[in-house]
Amino acid sequence: MHILFAVLAGTTIVTSRNVNAMLAKKIGAYESTFFNYLVGILLSIVVFFFSREAFVPFFAPESFSDVIMYLGGILGVVAIVISNFITPNISAFLLTLLIFISQLVTGIVVDFFLYHEFSIPKVAGGLLVLIGLVYNLYLDKKDEPKSAK
Amino acid sequence: MTKGLALFNGILYSLMILMNGLLAESYGNYYSTILVHLFGLIAIIVCMKIKKKRLFPKEVFPLLLYTGGAIGVLTVVFNNIAFSALGVTATLGLGLLGQSVTSLVIDQWGLLGAEKVPFKKKKLIGIAIILAGIAVMLFL
Repeated sequence: MHILFAVLAGTTIVTSRNVNAMLAKKIGAYESTFFNYLVGILLSIVVFFFSREAFVPFFAPESFSDVIMYLGGILGVVAIVISNFITPNISAFLLTLLIFISQLVTGIVVDFFLYHEFSIPKVAGGLLVLIGLVYNLYLDKKDEPKSAK
Repeated sequence: MTKGLALFNGILYSLMILMNGLLAESYGNYYSTILVHLFGLIAIIVCMKIKKKRLFPKEVFPLLLYTGGAIGVLTVVFNNIAFSALGVTATLGLGLLGQSVTSLVIDQWGLLGAEKVPFKKKKLIGIAIILAGIAVMLFL
């Protein structure tokens, strides 16, 4: 079941990215990001009310991870702003490749240092995933007309 | 410079999954999603104030164009559920599979404003390798 949710997260990432890009073409990248978070917060408030999840009052941070866990939302915006900035200057092939490589390496490092888990299968599997992606990206690149570069 | 920023962005994405996952473990999956969007909203408003941009453009477009954020809520919720059981690496690997297949579907029919790129059978090889990688991650 968790496996299905992880795959679906990939589906919604791509769908949301495409919809946001359509909006960005009309009103601009920053404006589209703003609406992304505005609509997102409204919907997540609605979902929270229907979920009957208990409300946890804000608590003072006690450890390092208590502090950094609040930064995820901000990192998301920084990532979007950077990606708006670099996308026109780099081929989609290289961009996708570089992001995937650093994502996987970071994932492995985090699992190791925070959860003291270093599994050879995870690293080997990660490499295989990467090879599959590179192969498909290479097929795309090969068929791109050279003038379109 | 551009390549360095691309690598940096990948690091940010991974750390984001981790931080949002930790937040979900402390505050619950749905309440933490509100917090993630709240901090994101504050960050983008600060960015736009620095760039002197208007928050609300005068023109209004079809409602469908504004649903990106709603779909994004699902991403956060799905990632949080998966992260709690699978850790960062496996969540990412499976997410990449979902991204690849969804991109192929969107390209095939030119959905959501994308250019139509017909499916090539050779791409099944790439998908098979990705699936093999995920099988190794999860079952070995």
